[in-house]
Amino acid sequence: MIKRIKFHNFKVLRQAELPLERFTLLVGPNGSGKSTVLEALEGIRRKALHPLSVLTAGVPISSKTYTEVRLEWGKPFEGIATVARWHTSAGTFSISHIQITPDAEPPAADPIRAQLDSLLARIRVFAFHAPSIAAQVKLTPNAELADDGSNLAAVLDRLRDEVPERFEALNEELHRWLPEFDHILFKTPAEGVRKFLLRRQADRTPIPAENLSQGTLLALAMLTISYLPSPPPIVGIEEPDRGIHPRLLRDIRDALYRLAYPEDFGEKREPVQVIATTHSPYMLELFRDHPEEIVIAEKVGNEARFHRLADRPDIEEILQDTSLGEAWYSGILGGVPQEQR
Amino acid sequence: MKLAILGESAADEAALEILVSKILNRPVELVQPSLRARGWPYVRDILPSVIKHLHYQTEAEGLIVVVDSNDSTIHDPSHDSEGHVPTCRLCELRRVVKHTLQHLRSVEGRAIPRVAIGLAVPCIEAWYRCGKDPQVTEAVWIQARKEGRFPYTCNGLKKAVYGTDRPSLTLETQRAHEEALRLSNNLDLLEQNFPNGFGALIRELHSWMHQANSTSQESES
Repeated sequence: MIKRIKFHNFKVLRQAELPLERFTLLVGPNGSGKSTVLEALEGIRRKALHPLSVLTAGVPISSKTYTEVRLEWGKPFEGIATVARWHTSAGTFSISHIQITPDAEPPAADPIRAQLDSLLARIRVFAFHAPSIAAQVKLTPNAELADDGSNLAAVLDRLRDEVPERFEALNEELHRWLPEFDHILFKTPAEGVRKFLLRRQADRTPIPAENLSQGTLLALAMLTISYLPSPPPIVGIEEPDRGIHPRLLRDIRDALYRLAYPEDFGEKREPVQVIATTHSPYMLELFRDHPEEIVIAEKVGNEARFHRLADRPDIEEILQDTSLGEAWYSGILGGVPQEQR
Repeated sequence: MKLAILGESAADEAALEILVSKILNRPVELVQPSLRARGWPYVRDILPSVIKHLHYQTEAEGLIVVVDSNDSTIHDPSHDSEGHVPTCRLCELRRVVKHTLQHLRSVEGRAIPRVAIGLAVPCIEAWYRCGKDPQVTEAVWIQARKEGRFPYTCNGLKKAVYGTDRPSLTLETQRAHEEALRLSNNLDLLEQNFPNGFGALIRELHSWMHQANSTSQESES
């Protein structure tokens, strides 16, 4: 698990530190660095960001200018940091695992480096896009869900074939979330191509994915991630509540928690570290019992900072009189847009 | 009896339907769609509109509202003589109900809906521990508030009831159903351990029954 991420000159995150839990919800105004955090993780996974594209705007470029994202690991890699550094002038990118506490395992040890490299390579950042989710796909071995949710038909098809009991459980949960539908069906428009449909319970009519509502598709993608038998170890999700009815947000929260706390849901797999963003006071409210999981992103001038809600000493007192969502919206917790005066 | 339940979740609704049905000794027919409020202070804010909707648009005869007390003032019989204590959620809801009912227009053939309010101290999971953990009672919580030292928390009660403080809605609903069925066979103990919060609800519901019985006796004679 990543315990903390430190940013230096990474876009709006000029000098910022982000504390992380198994599940972390980032809230804040547009441009406060929430998506930038996920972009950094994605960049580290791909090892492919262009140096100039990540550099903070307005920072003078010299031979010494660099951009850095430093992931400090918790158990079982405590005391080790992964440092991704972009040297602007040289146009180079490097990733190294360094020892940050004396009693940590030597980072140069191949097994640990290999494990960390493997973890980084399996990071996934999702920003779902309804038409991509609905699209028909070519079947490939070991199909995985793409960042925008495309490939869902192949992932569901694989789940049905490889872990049918999970597929059935997913169907049941889908029916509970969206009682209108009771089963996921498949169609083969051409050889090696799949599309999915949802069966309408009332008249058993299969509704093709492209005719489903945006919210239904987004909900199905979220639900599917939480039912994967081997989900990615670290997942970033852009606005998992987007397009979802407020009353379904509790189910979205449950799906996120299923990923992060599998033991609480009777799952026997490894926990997933989840970092999600939201702009919804309704969504935020659902995490009221765990302020340690909420990080407020704040834009101050040209840079952004993070602070964990649980670190605010008066938070319990404030929440005696109002809801968390309303308190955030009011501005007293920070993380709201600046207004021109 | 046609009723509406204003709760925070499907889990609360499931439990309250069972408990209220047992108290009233008759089946409950819930007004659809289910009513939801997202905890305090939304319950208070939405309550007038819910009452108006039920009166003008539905055949509901009554409304059940239960809120968690969390860290707020616990209702005490002395509040009734003092009048409205604003830091007590039960008093606050009663004030809102009274004000709203006074201003309802009459609808031909319909009586003003009745409203029964309960206060779960500190949260509904405390009721679910009744009969299982003798240390979880209103008296213990009131004493703890005085001393500023709490022997349990809402998150702790959730862990005790669900095995986790991050239960899924499915698990919450399933456990709420089970616990309500168990408690419906021992309402006396629940009232004894939660005399103000649950007691307020049960006494109000009993008064509905007495009124209904008196009305039917009058019409028979």
